[in-house]
Parts: sequence; structure tokens; C-alpha cells
Amino acid sequence: MVELKVNGRPYRVEVTENELLVDVLRYRLGFMGVKQGCGEGDCGLCLVLMNGRPVHSCLIPAWRADGSDIVTVEGIGSETSLHPVQRAFIDQGAVQCGFCIPAAVLIGKWLLDRGLAGDRETVRWAYRGLLCRCGSYLRFEEAVAQASRGG
Amino acid sequence: MDEETIKRFEQILKAREFYVVGKKVARVDALDAVLGRPMYTTDLLTSKALYVRAVRSPHPHALIRSIDSSATRSVRGVVDVITHREIPGVNDAGSLTSDRPLLAVDRVRHYGEAVALVVGEDEVSVDEGIAAFRVEYEPLPAVFDPVEALKPDAPRIQEQGNLINHVKIRKGNVEEGFSASDVVIRNEYRTPFMDGVPMEIEVAYAYPEPDGTITCIASMQNPFDVYNKVTKVLGLPPEKVRVIQAATGGGFGPKSDESPIDVAAYAALAAYRNRRPALATFTREEAMAVQTKRHSFRIVNETGATSDGRLLAWRSTLYLTNGPYYSKGHLVIQRATFHCTGPYEVPNVWADGYAVLTNNTLAGSTRGFGAPEAHFAAEVQMDVLAEKLGMDPLELRMKNMLRPGSLTATSQRIDDDGLVRCVEAAARLSRWTERRREHEQFNRANGRYRRGIGIALLYHGNTLGPEGEDYAVVHLSVDERGKVKLQTGLTEYGTGALTSLAILVAEALGIDVRDVELLRPDTRAVRNPGPTVASRTTVIGGRAALDAAAKLRAILDPIAAELLGCRQDELVYRDGKVMVAGDPNRSISFRELVRRAIGMGLELKVEGFYKAPDTKWDKETGQGAPYNQYTFGALVSEVEVDLLTGAVRVLRMTAVYDVGKAINPLGLKALIEGGSIMGLGHALTEEFLLSDGVPVTLGFQGYSIPTSVESPFEIVQEVVESEGKIGALGAKAMGEIPVVLPMASIANAVAHAIGYHIKETPLKPSRILEALEELGIAYRP
Repeated sequence: MVELKVNGRPYRVEVTENELLVDVLRYRLGFMGVKQGCGEGDCGLCLVLMNGRPVHSCLIPAWRADGSDIVTVEGIGSETSLHPVQRAFIDQGAVQCGFCIPAAVLIGKWLLDRGLAGDRETVRWAYRGLLCRCGSYLRFEEAVAQASRGG
Repeated sequence: MDEETIKRFEQILKAREFYVVGKKVARVDALDAVLGRPMYTTDLLTSKALYVRAVRSPHPHALIRSIDSSATRSVRGVVDVITHREIPGVNDAGSLTSDRPLLAVDRVRHYGEAVALVVGEDEVSVDEGIAAFRVEYEPLPAVFDPVEALKPDAPRIQEQGNLINHVKIRKGNVEEGFSASDVVIRNEYRTPFMDGVPMEIEVAYAYPEPDGTITCIASMQNPFDVYNKVTKVLGLPPEKVRVIQAATGGGFGPKSDESPIDVAAYAALAAYRNRRPALATFTREEAMAVQTKRHSFRIVNETGATSDGRLLAWRSTLYLTNGPYYSKGHLVIQRATFHCTGPYEVPNVWADGYAVLTNNTLAGSTRGFGAPEAHFAAEVQMDVLAEKLGMDPLELRMKNMLRPGSLTATSQRIDDDGLVRCVEAAARLSRWTERRREHEQFNRANGRYRRGIGIALLYHGNTLGPEGEDYAVVHLSVDERGKVKLQTGLTEYGTGALTSLAILVAEALGIDVRDVELLRPDTRAVRNPGPTVASRTTVIGGRAALDAAAKLRAILDPIAAELLGCRQDELVYRDGKVMVAGDPNRSISFRELVRRAIGMGLELKVEGFYKAPDTKWDKETGQGAPYNQYTFGALVSEVEVDLLTGAVRVLRMTAVYDVGKAINPLGLKALIEGGSIMGLGHALTEEFLLSDGVPVTLGFQGYSIPTSVESPFEIVQEVVESEGKIGALGAKAMGEIPVVLPMASIANAVAHAIGYHIKETPLKPSRILEALEELGIAYRP
């Protein structure tokens, strides 16, 4: 039995030994915003914030998330009240195929939370672990810059 | 509706100021994406599904002696095993040519070819079942090199032989052209297999409906290609199969070819035989092994010019290395050969393009469709020639580039000045001359780094042309709230093209883009619109969308005119209203007008259609007009080469494209940046390596695609609008285009930095270091 908070709400889930956090989040709890692109920690699409830090949820056994506080893209804004990073992603045209966008938005939020969003080089390196085949990297940088300027 | 009416409608649209077209509009699907709403295939699973995966060949070429699935069947959780014998319909999964079985019969022709399917309750039992599956193979002689494969004693991969297409260009008299030349150069260029690698792995989810219909939801570019093959494989009547495209996390070509057909057929077979929902997908490594690759090319270019830099003769020999099945190889060689001289006027051209089957893994369409490879060979060749002539590379290009009145290699007459405008803008924006001088100055310091600037020019024959029937269908309907529903079998997979269709419809009906709702592509709800390939959605699909909008207007105009007491040609649709020209107080809201129409019993449901004119060229000489219009472009790259490590950094790119008409500027900006970065990967790191047909660069650690830190710091952009003949409002094809030039442009910049042209991609550190050693300029601290 694992107890964890996702987007502020507590959950109790029975998990098996080999079950991964990504699968628990997606298929047990329904957070489909968490994506998967390789299952090996290379692409970064399964990124979530765990206790405030970005992690690859495909590399984390579910039992290790016991007691942790998880944030997925579903937890940071809504249609009527978008997070500034979400707003900026739309404004800057950052969405192409969309598949890496949940992870990219979370990285942006983390940068903003940490007060790192103003430095271009830091932002660039923060996205190093996320593969976007559409090549939206410069859009991500522009969007984070916009959000850091306050929208 | 007749062609004349449509033309008039488009002319009226073009004549006035645009309200939506060309304005900054957010993507229609951006909100769902940033909120992480479920929209991709595996987000939509409604119930526990069976899992399906293939047993795959470890051999590049072998006979299948025997198959034993008994151990597999006894694995706990395995519920079904499917070989070619269990296929109820026809064992045919080839996307265009029926040469590729879904499941091998008595022979495998590439590593990873599917032999059987194992269906189980979950992934673990399926994997155990696959491990327990026994196949006895008898390896056959295999061939991997295209030139070897053309020899008479080479192993025959398919009955008809290994040469699947020979494309010819015969223009003028090439021998005379070479005799009259002051300078003749000859070089060989090579590019490796590459992988489009969409981030979402191929996936399909199929389930039986109560009436026996098999519905399949999947990630793909072409729902109708998938539908046709799944129907054939299942042997069901057409109305018993339904295919719906889920949001698709990247296409790049592979998702228009073979692998989406495979996963859909796997899931559909499992669902059909077991009467339960089934999910088929790949692991990342499996996807990289079996999805169609960008073909490997070997191109020899021989070029003759006068001492003042006028091109006189060009001879190209192109070898395209295909996998063992056609896929799109026979068409890719055609596009590559037609574009073999680059965008230059050459009076005498002789070209032979050969597409050759080999036992490498599957290759097929990948963004650019042979154009990136042809441009790499042509544009590096132009730089080598410039050096030989002692000319500035830009000057040599300007002297020979396609201008209004020029004839291409196929003797097609160019009417517009798109290329001229692109080149002038790129030279100005990049400050070509000053930057070139600055970099040369920098290099004189003889430090660890060298810098360079390079340019490449593009022409790209638009849409399908000789590659297929170039038509599209778009359906529109309007509900009582005044919301316009747009549905088509053309698909969105990243380029933003469906947002462009929504923009065109909004423009034509004078409504907000947000009042155009996109419904999912569904083979039961729409007519086959042709494939979503060849950058044709905005260009051709846009015309169909405008046709549909015109048909709605034909229903609404008489009612509005009567209500407002004016003539139909006085009506203006704008800002959600329909008003009388010059008298905006006499107006009715679009919504109210729609309500009245529906109240009168009219059905606001139309089907828009457009078909581009057929293109004509002679097969023996390649002469004619294979494409209806051309996109043009120029890309300047600036690089820094580390003489110690051989690493290349792209500092800045300047990209100028003639888009005909910018329908969706925000989308274009992302597309041009993103394609440039994908192309940067092609130039510097990407090569899909096989060792005797067995892939060695599987997974993202083996196959390296660009990340944020490899991206240029800046991509300066400008678009030129030189109206195209057939595109919606003059739009030209753009989806694939930004990926065409980076290989050539970056290679030329590297050559400027180090003083030598490397003629094989990728320009990886080991290859650069080799060149530096040879040149004696490797840096030793």
C-alpha cells in the first residue's frame, strides 16, 4: 500500500513490487497528462515534480513514491485559470505535436518556482533532459521568458 | 459547386483585407495540450485490453523452416497466437504496393520482420510468450549495399529483382556542356539511414462493437491507408471496420508508412479473434528497428561551368538504398532525382536515379522525401565549385539561381520570383558579407575554435505531383449555436495544418477561429481525402476547406440578402456578423442567420473538394512539369568548430522561405524553427547504423537527436509571399520544407570554418577530427 499526494489530493494505492510510478499515475489514478516515450529515462516525457523536484516517473518504482507529493500537468492550472507557463506556451506557439508539452510545461513551472526562469542559459540546460522531435526548444525558452516577465 | 464560382469566391477573399488569415492565432489544440488533457491513443483506453506484440526475425534474410508455438501457448496469460495462417483475410500490409506481408510466410527479408503475434492478458505474459516461441530459420545470402544489390549475381530480394525504379533526366546535351566548360568537378556524397523518431511510439487500440464492427483508434497520418489494409487483413466488409485517428504525437513520415498499418492490424486481429479490446504498440527500440527510415543515399555529382561561374552541365547518379519492400522508395528517388541540380538553371542535365532493394530494415517516407539528400549533394557541390572558381558562394548561386523565366532540370518554367526574394532577404538579414569577413578574421587568431558561415538554397516541388492523386475533402457543418464543425480525414500530427484549415474557414465565414471546432478524423464520418503527406494539407486541403465554406455561403447568402434587403454580392461576413457592405448597421449575427436557416429546414452540412491539376512529364527524359508550384528558400548557418574535440556548434541560423501566403504565422514560426533543429540533427549527429542488416543504434542512447542545448541560440526568420498557382489563397507547401536545407547549409558553414568540404553526413566529431588531422589543423593544447 502506497500513500501519496497527487496535485494536492491524497491517494492510497495497492501496488506491486515492479509497478512504476508512471503507470500508477496514468492507469491507476488517471493522470493521462503524464506521457511515455522510451521507458528508459532518455526522453523525459514522463517527467513529474516529486517533492518539488523534476523526476522521470518511468524510472521510479511506485513504492518509492510512498509519502511523496507529486505534481503533474493536470495540477497546475485549469481552462479558466491557466498557469502563466501554460498561457505563455500557447502565446509563443510552443505546441506542435503536443506529446512532450506536459513535461515541458512542468519544467517551466519548476524554473519559475525556483526563480531560475530569468536566465536563458539555465533555462536551456533545464530542457536538456527533454526530447522534442518537433524542435520546439526555442519556443519553450521564449515561453519561460514570457512567464518570468509576468505574462 | 463549379470551379468558376469557387475561383470567384477565392478572388473576393484575396481582394480584401484579411481578418483572420495572417494574424497571430493560437493553435486550435494548444489549450488541450498545455492542460495535459487525454487525447492520444493510450489516454483513451476505456477498458482493460489484451496486449499484442510480434515475434520478430533476428535475421536480415532467411527462410522459415518451421514454427513451433506450443510452448508459447502454455505460458500463463497468453490467450492467442497468430501466424500468417490465422489471418482471415489477405496477408497484405504494404502501404502502397502489396509486396509486404503483415506476417512472414516462408521467408523474412529484414531484421525485425514480424513472423507471428502473441496476444496475452498483459505485457509480461506476452514477453514470456515471445521468449518461448520457436522459429527455425535457414539464413540466406543477404545484400546491404545498393551497388552490390544491382549486380546480376546479387541475392534477389523480391521476384522482380532489386531495382525498383530508375528515374531519368535528359535535358540538352550534357557532353557538349562539359566540353564547353572551363571547370568540371566531380564529387561523391553520402548520407546514412536516419530515423524520423516521432516521440509517440506507434500504437493502436482496437475493440469489437456489439454489431461486429472492429473499431480501431490509433496514432497515424493516414487513417484511410490503415482502414484499407485492416479491412483487407480481417477480410471484413468495408462497413464493419472503422478507424479513428487519435491525437498523434509526431508523424515525420514514418507514421504515414508501414508501421501504423502493422500495429493497427495487430490490434484489430487480436480484437476480432478474441472478441475483446486489444492494444498493440512497440518498445522504443522495436519502433526504431521497424519504422521506415530515411533512405541512405549515395550521389555522384559532376558539374561543369564557365570560368565566370555560369553552370553549363550537370550529371547526377543517385543510389537510394531501400529496405526489402517498396514502401515509398520508388517515389522518393523520383523527388530526389528531379531536384538533383538544386534550384539552379543548368542548360544540360543528365541524371539517373536508382532505387534499390536491400536487406536493411524498412525505409520509406521521412520529412523531405529525398529532397534533403539531393540538396545536400547539390549545395555542397555548388560550394566546392565556388571555391574552385575563386568566387563567393553567394555570388555563384545568385548567378545561376532560378528566376522568373528559368527552366528547371526538368525544363519546367519558373514564373515567380520567390527564390530571388528569399536569397536577397537571407543575405541582408544574415549580413552575409560582413559576417563572412568577421569569421575569417576570427579564424586568423589560430585558436582552439574556428568559425564559418554557409548558405544553401531550396526549391521544393509542391505536394504530390507525380507521387499520386492530389485531391482533398473537407466536411463542414453548422449547429444552432453557430459553431462550425470541421471534419476531414486529413490529420494533425504537429505541423499545425488543421489550424490553418480552421483559419481559412473562419476567414470565409467571418467568424472567430474559436467558433470552428475540429472533429476527429473518422473513416465512418468522412470521405477519403487522400493521404496527409507531401506538405499538402494547407495547400490542397485548404482549397477544399474554402470550397466547403463557399458551399455554406451559397446556402446562407440568399437568406441573409433577403433578411437584410440587399443583393447577395453586397454581403460582408465579418466579426461574427453578416452585414451590408458600406452600411454595417444593417446586419444580422452569424448565429441568428444560421438559426433561421436551420429553422427553414435547411441542412447546413457540406462537403468541400479540391483536386490539383494532373502534372505531366516524360518518363524517358524526365522533361515536363512534374509539380504544380514550387516553394523556395534560403538558409544561412553560422557554426563554431572545436578543433580539439571535433564538435560543431550551430550559433545562428537565418531562414527565409517563400511560403506563398502565410495563413498561420505563429504556426510557421514554430515549424521553421523546429524543422531547422531537426535538420541540424541530420547534419551533425543522426545516423542509423546497421551491421550486416542488424541495427546497432537503437534507443536514444544509440541514435542521438538534437536537444535544447544543441539548438542554435537564434533562428532569424523572414517569410516571403510569392503567390503559388494552386495553393489556398496562394499558399505554398511548408510542412516538410524546413528540414531540407540544414544538412547542406551547416556542411557549407563547417567547410568555411575548416577549409575543407566533408561530403558525408553526419558531421560527427570523429569525422571532423579525421578531416582536421588530414588538414594538419587539429588543436593540441
